[in-house]
Amino acid sequence: MPSRKQCFVGVDVGSAFSKVVVMLDGEVASSQTVSSGGDYRLTARRATERALANLSLSPDDVTALVATGYGASSVPEARVASDVTCLARGAFYLFPSVRTLIDVGDMLTRVIKLDDEGRAVSFLTSGKCAGGSGRVLKIVAHVLQVGLEEVGELSLLSRNPVNFNTGCAVFAETEAVSRVAEGASKEDVLAGLHRALAAQIQSLVDRVGLEEKCLIVGGGARDIGLVKSLEESLGLRLLVPEEPQVVAALGAALLARERVRQKVGR
Amino acid sequence: MDYFAGVDIGSTMTKVVIVGQEVIASVVRVTRPEQRRLAYFTVNEALRKANLSFEELTYVVATGYGRINVPFADRQLTEISCHARGVASLVPEARTIIDIGGQDCKGIKVAGGKVVGFVMNDKCAAGTGRFLELTASTLGVRVEDIGELALTSRNPVEISSTCTVFAQQEVVSKLAEGVALNDILAGLHQAIASRILSLVNRLGIEPEVVVTGGGAKNIGLVRALERKLGFPIALPPDPLLSGALGAALLGRDLVERARREGSLPTRQERRLEEVKFFA
Repeated sequence: MPSRKQCFVGVDVGSAFSKVVVMLDGEVASSQTVSSGGDYRLTARRATERALANLSLSPDDVTALVATGYGASSVPEARVASDVTCLARGAFYLFPSVRTLIDVGDMLTRVIKLDDEGRAVSFLTSGKCAGGSGRVLKIVAHVLQVGLEEVGELSLLSRNPVNFNTGCAVFAETEAVSRVAEGASKEDVLAGLHRALAAQIQSLVDRVGLEEKCLIVGGGARDIGLVKSLEESLGLRLLVPEEPQVVAALGAALLARERVRQKVGR
Repeated sequence: MDYFAGVDIGSTMTKVVIVGQEVIASVVRVTRPEQRRLAYFTVNEALRKANLSFEELTYVVATGYGRINVPFADRQLTEISCHARGVASLVPEARTIIDIGGQDCKGIKVAGGKVVGFVMNDKCAAGTGRFLELTASTLGVRVEDIGELALTSRNPVEISSTCTVFAQQEVVSKLAEGVALNDILAGLHQAIASRILSLVNRLGIEPEVVVTGGGAKNIGLVRALERKLGFPIALPPDPLLSGALGAALLGRDLVERARREGSLPTRQERRLEEVKFFA
């Protein structure tokens, strides 16, 4: 029998989605993204089991597991690492040239500055306001009766983006309704919202200090309209990973591997 | 006899007050998108109540967020000056006015009958009536009832978010944890009171403090504000009307001053007629 591969798991329990990445030795072997729902504990367990089952493994085969994200404490017996550390680790693994990392999540937008070795040296978050986060997209998409996946493509069709006067997610909803009532198209409303959101994110980036290359991750990175708006306001091309939502989970799996290595090293 | 009308088109409520020597009629209606039609209907309703015709009004002042949608007004004035004037007539010793409206929150500092400073939040729903409305709908209770319910709490839960969106999410998770409704409401009212005071504090809060707007009708919020301030708040008898009242009184002031100076107040060509949008 061949010597069994070491299995490292990273679990990122976000407020909207839970993400799991499984690494076998040094390679990413499986990943899962599921809606977090109300019971984080159950979601995290199921998502982990599913990611392992794809590789015909069970939780008993796990060498080390690290949890991160808003609901990290819901993962029993896991070591917990901060979101910032995990994001930085995952981003640097995928793109060693990254120096500025933008994470547009459901509840928070974060901007992290990395040094040449991939360590997070400073970061800022959008704080206790839904305005600068992905949540505002969800709220306005709902009002416009547009699926979240369609938001980006629709926005790119806009010719005359509406001007949003507010960054507040609640007032943005009202403004979207008013603009539609005045005859604005969905495309123009979405493009306007993307611009407003990009401006808010840009102000975070400015405060952290922009250094290339710049990577965007999180659910917001899947929104091509937001990515384009942000590229326009930052004046550069953004790197976008193939699976932008699992970057923190990937970082957590990498941390799990490092911890085991350090122990063995001792 | 001269009569004056004040029309206050707020984001949520439209208010009309008619004064002669004193208030003779008032009407409050929910603001709808067709504000010009609404202004027409609401003023007509107030005129009927006062048993007056439009021609008998000496001067009409419009205020509030929709004030440009009152084409028959002689003058548009900001809600800051109108609130200050209205409150001065009701609570002459007022120094600080906190107006909690449907979609904004204002602090106004008054000295010697003059506005000496103001702050406003209309960029964020926290600290506005919208927060209270959404809270009520999340909890499935009427917005009129949330203040009373909050006062029955003995063990307010701590709500860490002031963002309206995140606070609603926190409410849902507190409910799931089995926290009692009134304890959640008490926590929300405390959070929102802190938020409002942190805005108004920039002016330096001095008694007498008067709370106006729809928020003043929420006794739980008023008590939470009083607890944080450490002294009682004065409430006008009809807190929704102070802006419209102030508008009517400022109209009267303008006319009186003009007459003292021997001139007539500048009045626009005006007619009260129904505006049709979808003709």
